[in-house]
Amino acid sequence: MLEVKDLRAGFDGTEIIKGISLSVKAGEVHAIMGPNGSGKSTLAKVLVGHPSYEVMGGEVTFNGENLLEMDPEQRALKGLFMGFQYPVEIPGVNNAEFLRMAYNAKRVNEGKEEIDPLDFDDILVEKMEMLSMEKKYRERNLNEGFSGGEKKKNEILQMAILEPKLAVLDETDSGLDIDAMRVVADGVNRLRNENNALILITHYQRLLEYIKPDYVHVLSHGIIVKSGEKDLALELEARGYDWLAPTN
Amino acid sequence: MTTTLVDATDQAELAILNLHKKFMSESRPPEALLPLNEAALQRFELLKFPHRKHEMYTFVNTKELVSTVFSLPPETPVSKDFIKSHIFPECESSYLVIADGVFRDDLSDYSAIKSAINLVPIEEAVAQSEIKEYMADTIEKENDVFASINTAFLSRGTMIDVPRKQQVETPLQILHVSTGSTSGKVTSHPRILVRLGEMAELKMIVKYVGAQGNYFVNSVMDLLVGEQAGITYVQVQEDAMDAWHFSKTRVVQGQNSRVSAFNAFFGNQLTRHHFEAHLKDVGVELKLNSVSVLTDQEQVHNFVRIHHEAPHGTSAQVFKNIVSGKSRSSIDGTVIVNQGAQQTNSDQLINNLMLSDNAHADTKPNLMIFADDVKCTHGATVGQLDEDQLFYLKTRGLIEKVAKELLTKSFAESIIQTIEFPGVVEYLENNLLKKLEA
Repeated sequence: MLEVKDLRAGFDGTEIIKGISLSVKAGEVHAIMGPNGSGKSTLAKVLVGHPSYEVMGGEVTFNGENLLEMDPEQRALKGLFMGFQYPVEIPGVNNAEFLRMAYNAKRVNEGKEEIDPLDFDDILVEKMEMLSMEKKYRERNLNEGFSGGEKKKNEILQMAILEPKLAVLDETDSGLDIDAMRVVADGVNRLRNENNALILITHYQRLLEYIKPDYVHVLSHGIIVKSGEKDLALELEARGYDWLAPTN
Repeated sequence: MTTTLVDATDQAELAILNLHKKFMSESRPPEALLPLNEAALQRFELLKFPHRKHEMYTFVNTKELVSTVFSLPPETPVSKDFIKSHIFPECESSYLVIADGVFRDDLSDYSAIKSAINLVPIEEAVAQSEIKEYMADTIEKENDVFASINTAFLSRGTMIDVPRKQQVETPLQILHVSTGSTSGKVTSHPRILVRLGEMAELKMIVKYVGAQGNYFVNSVMDLLVGEQAGITYVQVQEDAMDAWHFSKTRVVQGQNSRVSAFNAFFGNQLTRHHFEAHLKDVGVELKLNSVSVLTDQEQVHNFVRIHHEAPHGTSAQVFKNIVSGKSRSSIDGTVIVNQGAQQTNSDQLINNLMLSDNAHADTKPNLMIFADDVKCTHGATVGQLDEDQLFYLKTRGLIEKVAKELLTKSFAESIIQTIEFPGVVEYLENNLLKKLEA
C-alpha cells in the first residue's frame, strides 16, 4: 500500500529525515517509535504533504501512485489520513458541518451523491457513540475549546467517518488519560480490517498495549535504526532509546 | 494649495448653511426644537468640516462628500412590499419605519409591543427637563461635526420610551429607509432616542436600507440606559452602493446597566460609524461587537470612544473585518478610563482578514488610563488565512477553494454567532457572507 524508498526530507533547508525506507501492506499496523527530535513527526507531515516541509530525495508511492506529487487534499481523497498531534481550532466552523463536508468531499470523489445533514447525523451519532463522545461536540465549533482528550477523540471521529485506507496517527496518545486512551484505542481497533493499514507514531510504548502493532520501527536522528516485531516495543520500554543511537 | 483647500471647505460649509435655510422654511421644524437646531448649527460652524488631518477623520476621506451639494429629500412613496422584505422574522408585528428620518405610522406595525413602549415625538420629549438637558448638553459637547449637522436638521425625531421595570420580550425593529433620488443627491438626518427606565429591558434590531441610491444618510441614535436596565441591539448597515452612510450611536449608561451592541456592515462607497459610550455610574457592562465584509471599492470606518467614568465598569469590544478587492476598513478606537474609574475591566480586539493585496485596513487601538487599579487590554491583527487551518482542512479532502471559502466565512461567522437574534444571524449568513462567494 505504502512504499517509502530512501526518503530524505526536512525543513528550512535542514535535512531531518536522512533516508528512510518503509513498506506498509494492507492489514498491517506499523509503530514508529523514537525519542524527541528523531524525525517521527516530520515523517508524518511529509507523508500528508505539509507545505512547510521539503522533500530532498527518495520516493513514496501510495497504492502504486507517486504520493509526493499530490496535493494534501488529493492524498486525503486517495485514502490517506493523518491524526494530528496538535489539531488546530477553527472558530466559526461547526464541527458536524465540517465533518459532513469532509464526508461529502470523499463521496463526490468516489462518484457518489452528497448526503444531506439528517442522514449524515445518523452516521455521526453512531460513530460518536463508539468513541463515547458527548453529542454536544456536534454543535461546537471545530476543536474550539475542546480539551486535549476531546481533540484527539475528534481526530479519531474524523478517521471513523472518512474510513481511510491508511491512517497515520501522530502521537495520538499524548494528552490522553488512561480511560480516554482505552476508548480511543478501542475505536481505532474497531476500524481496522484487512484492507486498511495504520502507522502509529508514538514516543511511549503504552498505546501499543492497546493497539497491537505488527512491526515496530525505531527512528533516531532521521533514520530507522532498528525494525522488529512487537516485542521490540517492550525492549525499548525497558532499555530506553540510547542503546540504539546511530554510531557515527 | 492650502488656500484652495480652505476655500473648498468654506464653500462646503456655505452649502450646508444654505441647505439649512431651506430646511427651516420647507421642513418647518416644530417650535420646541428651534433652539436646538440653532445651537447645533452654531456648533457646526465652530467645528467646521474635517480637514484631512482631523483626529476624528484620519482614515476617512470626506472630500467628495462635503463637496457635494445636497437637497432635502422630496416625499417619496415607499411600498409595503419593500418594507416587508426588510423586516426580520422576529419583528413581524414590532417594527417602526423611519423614512428619510420621518417616523411613518402608516408603514409601521408595532402591535405586538404597543402596550410596552411609548413613542414620543422628539418635540414633545424635549418638554421633559431630563431630555431637554441631555440634548442641550450633547450639542455643547459634540465634537463630531456630522452629529452636529444631524441636530441642526432635527425635525421629526422619535423617542422610544421604555417605562421603569418594563421588560419588552419581543425585539423591536427600527427600519431606516432612505428613499434616495433619481436626480441629484439628497440628504436626511434621522434621529432616534431610546430611553430605558430603571430595570427596563429592550431588544432592538436597527437596519439601514435605501430604496434608491444618490443619498447621504446622516443618522444619530441616543441610548439612555437607566439603572439596572439592559438593552441588546444589532445594527445592520446595508445602504445603496452609491450612498454615503454616517451614523453615530451615543450611549449613556446608569448604574449596573447593561448594553450589548452589535454592528454589521455591508459597506458601500463610504460608511462611517461613530460609537460613543459613557459608563457614567458604577457596575456598568458594555459589549460592542462588529463585523464588516467588504469587496470591490467599499469602505467602512469605525470611530469608537468608550469613556469609563465610574468604578467597576466592564467594556469588551471585538471587531472582525474582511477586506478584499480594493476595499478599505478602519477602526479608530480609544478607551478612556477616568481617574475615579477604579476596577475597570476593558478589552478590545481588532482582527482584519486581508484577501487581496489592494485592500486596506487601518487599525488604531488606543487606551488612555487615568486610574491605577484597572485591567485593560487591546490588540489588533492584520493577516491572511491561517496556513495551519488551511492545511488541516485540506488533509480532510477539502480542495483549496472550498477550504479557503470555509475559513474566510468562519472568520466572520465566529462573531456573527454571538448575535442573539436567530433571524439576523441567518440573514447575515445568507447575505453578508454571500459576498465572499466568487
